[in-house]
Amino acid sequence: MNELFNVNNKVIYDINTTILYTSSFNYTDDAIYYLNNNCIVITKDRGMDTFKISNDIFELFHEEKLIHKKDLTKIDELKLKILASLNTNKTVFVFFDVLTYLDKDFKERLIRYLILNKKRIINYTTDIEETLLLDYLVVLHENKIIMEGKKELVLQEEKILKKLGFNLPFIVELSNGLKYYGVIDKVYFNNEELVNVLWK
Amino acid sequence: MEVAKILENKPKGYIYGLMGNINLTTNNNNYSIITDYKFNGTVEEYLNSPKAASSLKMVLLDENVMPKNARDLSIGELKKVSLAKALIDGKDYLVLDYFDKSFNHKEIDYFIRLIKRMTSDYHKTVILFTNDITILWNNIEELLIVDEYFVINTIPKEKYFEFIDKLNEPEIVRFTKLMKELGLYIENYKDTQDLLKAIYRLKEQE
Repeated sequence: MNELFNVNNKVIYDINTTILYTSSFNYTDDAIYYLNNNCIVITKDRGMDTFKISNDIFELFHEEKLIHKKDLTKIDELKLKILASLNTNKTVFVFFDVLTYLDKDFKERLIRYLILNKKRIINYTTDIEETLLLDYLVVLHENKIIMEGKKELVLQEEKILKKLGFNLPFIVELSNGLKYYGVIDKVYFNNEELVNVLWK
Repeated sequence: MEVAKILENKPKGYIYGLMGNINLTTNNNNYSIITDYKFNGTVEEYLNSPKAASSLKMVLLDENVMPKNARDLSIGELKKVSLAKALIDGKDYLVLDYFDKSFNHKEIDYFIRLIKRMTSDYHKTVILFTNDITILWNNIEELLIVDEYFVINTIPKEKYFEFIDKLNEPEIVRFTKLMKELGLYIENYKDTQDLLKAIYRLKEQE
């Protein structure tokens, strides 16, 4: 695994990464660095200025209604900003605390689209459910890395996550409990897989 | 959308949930909208009150943030300062605009307890505006669904499961739906531990 960035002691590897952070973290310094490195950083305040979005993209994301909508809400603007960013030739997409404002359908389509187009994704979030979207997980507290690794390993560290104020994602908490009661023999990280095991 | 319009004819002193794709605004002096507002000047200048330190404490910040400018604060800290300002202003209506975002579960639980106290002890009326029904379903009196101009639906507690926005289904709802699709009979649950017990009972019967 190659290092993609190494900024302020935070090592970001060349792998799709979620950065789970506690609320005192401010992205600004990293964002400036990222902008110089073939990255596009999307926050609530920054991202693409002009919206050039093809009809195919609107259709793919089921957002055709936005084409002619007049009074855009903040969420509409955020979606347009993200859809417009898909038009760039940047290779690394950094989302800072924005995916959590979007509906799950849009969020999942976006991640699928970027992965399919071989883009690298870095998602800063405080939403524990979003840690399941990408492969690698870094946990930041007061600008220090507390844990990092494959999400399946980091999410096993329930005690540390609780200490930082996070619950486990729903599916991990449920399968942990089912494993404890001997119903299943391992922890699952996706709803479909667990339901299929229970259905057998 | 004018937020005062949303609560027309609603009893005071309760927490209401609000969902919908709208921007909240208000010209009503009795409302505070709490958001990640980037104020001018320092926190101390923005709060401008002898109650500043105690209000910051109530929102889990300490006096060290007083000399900081908005640009030096994280999104979570901006929201906390906005709430501190609302506590100082003491208006009757508090509107928390996607406030749950940028916080961990422990902080969200704390703020829910705080606003419950605001309604029970100080008779404040609170609107929690979010896309995450799990924040709302144990804490609100009614769920209000809005479109661009109107409240289009008012949903009582016992009917939340019937009206969950398909685009924003909580994971626990998605999971139970999957189970039902595969023919496993399971009720709707809000709590993972309750679902866990139900699955255990189901497997035991098998």
